[in-house]
Amino acid sequence: MSQDAVIRTSGLTKYYGKQLGIDAVNLEVKPGEIFGYLGPNGAGKTTTIRTLLDFIRPTRGAATVFDLDSRQSSVEIHRRVGYLNGELALYNNMTGEDLLRYLGNLRGGLDWKYVNALAERFQCDLPRRIQGLSLGNKQKLGLIQAFMHQPELLILDEPTNGLDPLIQHEFYDLLTETKLAGRTVFLSSHILPEVEKVCDRVGIIRQGKLVTVETIETLKSHSVRKLEIHFAANVPKDKFVTIPGVRDIDIQNNVLTCTVVGSLDALVKASAQFVVVNIVSHEPSLEEIFMTYYEGANHAK
Amino acid sequence: MLNNMFLKTLRDQRRSILYWGIGLIGMAVMMAAFYPTIKNMPSVNAYLQELPQNLKELFSMGGLTDYSSPVGYFSAELFSFMVPLLLLVFGVGFGANAIAGDEEKGTLGFLLANPVPRWRVVVDKFGVLLVSMLVLGMMFWAGMAVCVLGLNIDLSLLRLAEATFGAMLVALVFSSLAFMLGCVKGNKGMSMGIAGGLAVLTYFLNGLGGMVSALKDYRFLSPFYHYVEPNTLANGISPEHVLVLIGLTVVFFAISIPAFMRRDIAV
Ligand SMILES: Nc1ncnc2c1ncn2[C@@H]1O[C@H](COP(=O)(O)OP(=O)(O)OP(=O)(O)O)[C@@H](O)[C@H]1O
Ligand SMILES: [Mg+2]
Repeated sequence: MSQDAVIRTSGLTKYYGKQLGIDAVNLEVKPGEIFGYLGPNGAGKTTTIRTLLDFIRPTRGAATVFDLDSRQSSVEIHRRVGYLNGELALYNNMTGEDLLRYLGNLRGGLDWKYVNALAERFQCDLPRRIQGLSLGNKQKLGLIQAFMHQPELLILDEPTNGLDPLIQHEFYDLLTETKLAGRTVFLSSHILPEVEKVCDRVGIIRQGKLVTVETIETLKSHSVRKLEIHFAANVPKDKFVTIPGVRDIDIQNNVLTCTVVGSLDALVKASAQFVVVNIVSHEPSLEEIFMTYYEGANHAK
Repeated sequence: MLNNMFLKTLRDQRRSILYWGIGLIGMAVMMAAFYPTIKNMPSVNAYLQELPQNLKELFSMGGLTDYSSPVGYFSAELFSFMVPLLLLVFGVGFGANAIAGDEEKGTLGFLLANPVPRWRVVVDKFGVLLVSMLVLGMMFWAGMAVCVLGLNIDLSLLRLAEATFGAMLVALVFSSLAFMLGCVKGNKGMSMGIAGGLAVLTYFLNGLGGMVSALKDYRFLSPFYHYVEPNTLANGISPEHVLVLIGLTVVFFAISIPAFMRRDIAV
């Protein structure tokens, strides 16, 4: 079966009463890719995901998953999707094992060998009651139930929430294996390094609008850095203002501060004419990246 | 017990059903145990006979003729108030919790992500409401039956079953109302409040209707009228009143399905 998009939304819009959730989101997730859905709190990530799963209904627009309409064929879609809830709440009055057994039964059976292998990888204590589990241990259960039936598509809302670095690593490995097996992953996050690490493409959403969809390489080449260059003596500003991609230049007390978009090469070469004491680079915050894209999107209009 | 949503929901209810059932049986045993004593106290009967008719009407004992007869005694002590009340409190609590409770806890999200249609969630959970109510009714009836036989009380076990059935039906009306409200809005407190409030209101509408002539014509609006009026313990089931109670329950259930299918799920 050939599909050009596993998930496709067209003009997907959701208002909660007057409160905007998402606004005209056009999204395409290709088969076999890991797609990161990146955005700050309240951007509309969860809203998009809930619409795909037909928990909430779009105000306008439509979404298809496996070329099936999200509203007409939700049961069929659910059969082929593994889902992890963003605000994970599990039944407290049972053990992890019973929870998985129950969910497995709702799906018509489970491959327990695979489930146990997953539990072992995530160091998840299945026979324990869910009530007493820590946040991260509940999250592991949430991940296992999403992966356990080896679905064609995984929709994961902030999957690494509460996981320690070791388990996070295990999870990234699992994602890679999933991709190698030809399956598709759609995950939301507000952690840029995480998305850079595991995703093939990234959609950036902000205030309900999908600002851009880029491959990771492009995203990195657009990345914005705040740079501080400490010189031995004062430097003339006009040597720097003409460098492409360098903005917000300010020189005070022999220290040049600026914002660089993309490559640092030209700036470093220009600085080399002078005596450099120190270079301090600040990794761009997510908000700064959003701002670049956001401003970009606004300028384009 | 984890094979499907129906069994899983029933499993979650097992302790609750057990405790409520024990409560109902305990009440049956206590009331039955006191009966022989009360029967031999003519003063009590005389006292109750002299209660103002209005007061008796208000507490659904309008038809009470003879407190010393088993029918009179058990009608007044158990069926006019306590049994339907207990079943109703259980049922309204369960009904409001069934959908809205899971939604508020946030556990509805990953449940609905399974390949289970929404109507199925409604049907399974409503099924558990019916079954729990039936089990509670049967526990109460069994408790009563043992007492009646053990203490040689002159009461028909069939009539007892019929009266219990009536109490279950009136409780189901309000339970399914709470269930429906949970499906419509997903707010547990509100569902419980409205269903419980209406139960109290209509209980007194029926009671007051028995003594205030202005309200008399509106008594039929109260489910309790259809429960109390036939005096089931004495006369047996009255089909048309039973049908009203079943009809209301069916209507509330029928509205629940499209209401839950159409709306946004909060979590
Ligand atoms: N049930 C709701 N009622 C009203 N507004 C809502 C509701 N759910 C979400 N919103 C609003 O919609 C917007 C998008 O929220 P959403 O939960 O999709 O954000 P998010 O990207 O998942 O954020 P986070 O990273 O915090 O999880 C926010 O402004 C939020 O306040
Ligand atoms: Mg979210």
